[in-house]
Amino acid sequence: MIARTSPIVSLAVRAVTPIALVVAAYVLFAGHNQPGGGFAAGLMLGAVIVLRTVAGIQQPRSATVWLSVGGVIAGLVAIAPLLWGEPLLDQVVVTWDVPVLGTVKTGSALLFDLGVVAIVVGLVLAVLDGLDATSLVDRDRTPAPASGRSGDAATPDDRGASA
Amino acid sequence: MIWFLLALHVVVVVALSFVGRHLGRRSLWLAAVPMAATAAWSATRLGSAEVVTAGFEWVPGLDVTIEFRVNAMGALLSTLVSGIGALVCVYAVGYFSAGAASMGRFAATLLAFSTAMVGLVWADSVWTLFIFWELTSITSFLLVGFKHADPVARTAARRALVITAAGGLSLLAGFVLFVDAAGTTRLSEITPITGSTATAAAILILVAAATKSAQFPFHVWLPGAMAAPTPVSAYLHSATMVKAGVILVAVIAPAFQDTEVWKPLGLSFGLATMLWGAIGALRHVDAKLILAWGTVSQLGLLITLLALGTPKATFAAISILVAHAVFKAALFMVVGEVDVRAGTRNINELSGLRRAMPITFVVAVISGASMAGIPPLLGFPTKEAAIEAALGLSGAEFWIVGGLIIGGSVLTVAYTTRLLIGMFASGEPMPEREVAPRRPAMSAPEAVLAAASVLGFVALGWVTGVVRPAVVTVAPKAEVYSLLRWPGLTDAFITSLVIVAFGLLIGALLARRHVVSGPTARGAANVDWTIDGVGRLARQVAARVQHGSLPLYLATTVLVVCVASVPFVGEIDTDTLYWWDNWAEAVLVVMIVTAAISATKVSSRLGAALVLGAVGFSVAGLFVAYGAPDLVLTQLLVETVIVVGFVVGLGRLATKFPTPTRLWLAGRLVIAGAMGTAVAVALAGSAGNTVGDAPIRELAETAQTDGGGKNVVNVILTDTRALDTFGEVIVLMVVAVGILNLSTRRGRTRPTAVAAPPAPAPPDPAPALVEAVDEVAR
Repeated sequence: MIARTSPIVSLAVRAVTPIALVVAAYVLFAGHNQPGGGFAAGLMLGAVIVLRTVAGIQQPRSATVWLSVGGVIAGLVAIAPLLWGEPLLDQVVVTWDVPVLGTVKTGSALLFDLGVVAIVVGLVLAVLDGLDATSLVDRDRTPAPASGRSGDAATPDDRGASA
Repeated sequence: MIWFLLALHVVVVVALSFVGRHLGRRSLWLAAVPMAATAAWSATRLGSAEVVTAGFEWVPGLDVTIEFRVNAMGALLSTLVSGIGALVCVYAVGYFSAGAASMGRFAATLLAFSTAMVGLVWADSVWTLFIFWELTSITSFLLVGFKHADPVARTAARRALVITAAGGLSLLAGFVLFVDAAGTTRLSEITPITGSTATAAAILILVAAATKSAQFPFHVWLPGAMAAPTPVSAYLHSATMVKAGVILVAVIAPAFQDTEVWKPLGLSFGLATMLWGAIGALRHVDAKLILAWGTVSQLGLLITLLALGTPKATFAAISILVAHAVFKAALFMVVGEVDVRAGTRNINELSGLRRAMPITFVVAVISGASMAGIPPLLGFPTKEAAIEAALGLSGAEFWIVGGLIIGGSVLTVAYTTRLLIGMFASGEPMPEREVAPRRPAMSAPEAVLAAASVLGFVALGWVTGVVRPAVVTVAPKAEVYSLLRWPGLTDAFITSLVIVAFGLLIGALLARRHVVSGPTARGAANVDWTIDGVGRLARQVAARVQHGSLPLYLATTVLVVCVASVPFVGEIDTDTLYWWDNWAEAVLVVMIVTAAISATKVSSRLGAALVLGAVGFSVAGLFVAYGAPDLVLTQLLVETVIVVGFVVGLGRLATKFPTPTRLWLAGRLVIAGAMGTAVAVALAGSAGNTVGDAPIRELAETAQTDGGGKNVVNVILTDTRALDTFGEVIVLMVVAVGILNLSTRRGRTRPTAVAAPPAPAPPDPAPALVEAVDEVAR
């Protein structure tokens, strides 16, 4: 709805998206030594998705895919040490030299954080889905009979029948 | 070999549950393979003094182990369990019609049950036994409720599950006490124990055995379980599962023999069950129910003999257990065949089937006579052993226990006679064309079992050689006893003759008397009423508690927080409290308070959302003032997502709040004030009460060495306390799945309810659950 009345917002959100993605990636990697981490990175991606949804650029889809991928990654990282006789969630630290970035130190915690990112994104998507943000965008694009209607929280159901 | 056989079972179960649907009735042949293999291996170990063990430690700290031990007893029982299981599979091929549905599921469940039963009889650790005990309850629930579209079968399955699972809990408690008193979890290391713990354990374990082995008053589930297809009844309710309690009593009896309650309680269970079961068998007209009640009676006899505890009685009990498994399975198969071919099991409607079904008739007579204890069949010498044991008692025991065992035996002969006459002899023979043609897959296993009853008598020496070593594992003094083909004119033999004569007479008389229908199952109805009542109560309580009003939920939460904060009032140390570290905090607090108050005043919903965001961002500012960059980052991001998320959500709501009444406004003020005060009190209380040094130094040191990171907070999250994080992440997932589920349900159900005509409801195994979810979703 905002997208229709304000191309500025739409454009700004589009412009910000790639920057936000880079920042999210940075936050994810920086988490080891500086403020940041999987939860923050996931929230950043989540914020981008929410903004894009509000602006009508994209629809929140495939929450289940994000959730399951994240769950599987986090679960595997948690269980994997058991295979080598280490305690649950024991982490492995790896250090290697990368051409441009210099010496990079990372570990299985990063993988675990990736799982967290996916789950947080999945949660945001699920909430948007629960708020029926999909049809919010749809209704703006198609001439909807119910537009301008001021319903109340208790009766959000007729939208299901009209969709 | 133990592992191989158990693994074979599991592999076939899994395979059947995937490909079974394409195989149809052929899946039963596949299910018979592991059973036959187990039976064959066990048969080679029959009577062997050698013991095969296998096991591993499951939970090292708690001494919970998976231990199997196949001795003479284990081998004897698994031969019975798996051998009869394989025969039942063959029988089921004939029992079900060619197009019968869900045969893969049936075969898989039957085999899963068989696996559980084999594990149970091989178990050496009490914990292993407990696990397989519970597995038999669950698989038998699935088998009894196999025809899940039928409400009668569903109710019966639920009743059986509730009673046997309650017994399972009793067993768990009993085992915990037993391990405490005996100091071992191994059944092979049992020594007699006494004392109050042992007494309590004895009671709990006996009750558990009584629920499983259908002892009065827990027997009510067994007749109801006849709602299962007859192959299931032939397997579970004659040969195997109901014997689990008997087996448990047999193997654990040496431990409790010296406690005061063991014998009286066991005898009361056993004797009451024996009589009540036999009376029940005489009152019913459904042939399957007659057998079911007869089984209840026989189980009572077994428990009685085991509770007596004399080596002779134990020897008799195990012998009867073997003979009973053979003849009762055959009789159930006969009734199933009559049901399938003649179309009814009611002995009033059946008549003179001996012409139309000669093979079945012969099997029924042989097995029935074995049950009645008539020579030359396996049932005779085993019954003789029991009567011998009863006559060997002295004093009051002789009169009460001995008298009741003999009386029960008379009734056994009587109901057997009545059943056989009712099905095969009485009245005009049913015309042969009304009887469907014979199915070889049904006749063959019946014939095998009937032949076993005969051959068991012929090769009685071999049977003794198999049974005696098994009995010796639990009662070493039983070494001297044998099953006798011709005991001579002993007291026991004469008593037997009298029993048979009286029994035949009573049975023949009762068979003439016309009973219109069997008694109503009042006990079962009471159990169902109780179960339903609990459900109704739960629904009422849930309706009260889960009223669906968000303000009331919130008020409840606040109330709990307030109550929980009361103890903190005394903890507040005013000396440790001070206004601020830094003047910026004061500014931020003013911002927060202003924003919070205005949030209650704005009339526009979007405005309220933005003001709430202002509160959140100001809190982030507080974190900056305290130098917690991680918290700042997270708080800012969370607030951003929430505020923008609100915008999405508000799209569906009216732009203004509804105007509240004055009273409600006051109420909200009180609730908000109370919550604020409670949290403030709790924080002030805990701030003045630090214990020990802060762990920050240690954490900071280990962060670099163990976690390999400089950000202590994140090292804690991903390494030091990674398990906590993992748990939190899972909570997030659960929340997300819950939200998705609620939103998809809402989207899916409403339009069909409005637009489409109501579709015929599919058979749902748990409609109550669906209803409950529906209520919550609303």
